[in-house]
Amino acid sequence: MTQPLTDLGRVRASVEQANGLPNAHYIDPAVYEEEKHALLFGQWAGLAVAADVPEPGDAKPLEFLGMPLLLIRDKDGDVRVFQNICRHRGMILVEEPRKIEGAIRCPYHSWCYSTKGALVSTPHVGGPGHNTHESIRRDELGLNEVRSHIWRDIVWINVSGDAAPFDEAMSDLIARWSEFDLPLYHGGHDSRFELEVQTNWKLAIENYCESYHLPWVHPGLNSYSKLEDHYHIEKPGEYSGQGTMVYRQLTNENGEKFPDFEDVGAKWNEQAEYIAAYPNVLLGVHRDHAFAIILEPKGPERTVEHIHLYYAVPRSDEGLRMRNTQLWKTVFEEDIFVVEGMQKGRHATHFDGGRFSPVMDSPTHCFHDWVAGKVEAHRAMKQAAE
Amino acid sequence: MKDLDANMISAHEAGDRRALIRLYAQAADAVNDLDASCFYLTHAYVFALEAGASEAQALHARLKAHGREA
Repeated sequence: MTQPLTDLGRVRASVEQANGLPNAHYIDPAVYEEEKHALLFGQWAGLAVAADVPEPGDAKPLEFLGMPLLLIRDKDGDVRVFQNICRHRGMILVEEPRKIEGAIRCPYHSWCYSTKGALVSTPHVGGPGHNTHESIRRDELGLNEVRSHIWRDIVWINVSGDAAPFDEAMSDLIARWSEFDLPLYHGGHDSRFELEVQTNWKLAIENYCESYHLPWVHPGLNSYSKLEDHYHIEKPGEYSGQGTMVYRQLTNENGEKFPDFEDVGAKWNEQAEYIAAYPNVLLGVHRDHAFAIILEPKGPERTVEHIHLYYAVPRSDEGLRMRNTQLWKTVFEEDIFVVEGMQKGRHATHFDGGRFSPVMDSPTHCFHDWVAGKVEAHRAMKQAAE
Repeated sequence: MKDLDANMISAHEAGDRRALIRLYAQAADAVNDLDASCFYLTHAYVFALEAGASEAQALHARLKAHGREA
């Protein structure tokens, strides 16, 4: 019987008794590899946003945990995700973001694929000038498609292909925010930015979903959004986060505001919510804008945060948009020293994973419980297969 | 054919797909051997497919007529 890489017994105890995840879950390449399958490939993970490929034929190569992928909007306007490799010799198909005018041509031997992934041409496969061969069945050799789903403009992927359908897996969160099930528009080039952070991706989740740190790390919020104005959000096994009861809309020098999401309901006049949708997507909703942060794990101790801001109308005020981007950028940058500091802290041997405030840290504990549960289930499955 | 070769090389260097489609189709018509002709037609067809060019349909039909394309 193989020994588990880490002991998760203490993690799944109640928040009063639990310890956080052991150090190895933040610094050990073997655990990182295990979590890649248990937490990211096996679930619905955030990959990109549909706004990255706005027009039919737009294609963007991406890497997800070392796997080359191609995000593309096909000729009919549907967003798809393929492995970015030719079925012939495994050559990378698309190196740079570009428009596919007709077919995707492999630069090696020119096998061609439609934007829907069908293999449409195999030049000289049967010898010079002979483009068919009985052993090369085109209908069996289309691009390998990765299961994907668009929700709130985010392209979610399930690499393993065996997660429950997205609408089922995320049903509680979809229901919680059903009032926000309205068209949302990416703010464009001024409403996206990236932060590269020297931390394990899970620490970004852990920090995001609790409000305990707000008065200390984001003192600017104290003036109008005090700790007592926040509440916890916890759905064990699915998501956790925090909400505020005193959201105040951004205004410019003329007192103008962003237009509201129409019909979103009076409940949201001053309420806003910030939720970590496990595994790797951080979402925020307000009456007049929303944001998404897709955490891209780049290694056990490195993460890129891809931040996108959304509005209720296609052409919102540019000046306001830029102010809002800057506001959120400042907040998210204030968090960097924390997640990087906790990451460094994980190199302290004998650290027991830490203890939680039973009152203030339960959303983080909720995430740890999810991680431990998924990792244990993955280990049990692997053990059974041995 | 020598000029055609030189033009093809230039078109490849420039990544000029429109020219590649035209030049390979010309090359296909300039040779008497069916295999050689289909070789060039294949290239014209592939570049037309890649470009989403209207010529792709006719080039495909010619290759198919010779049993060289599905």
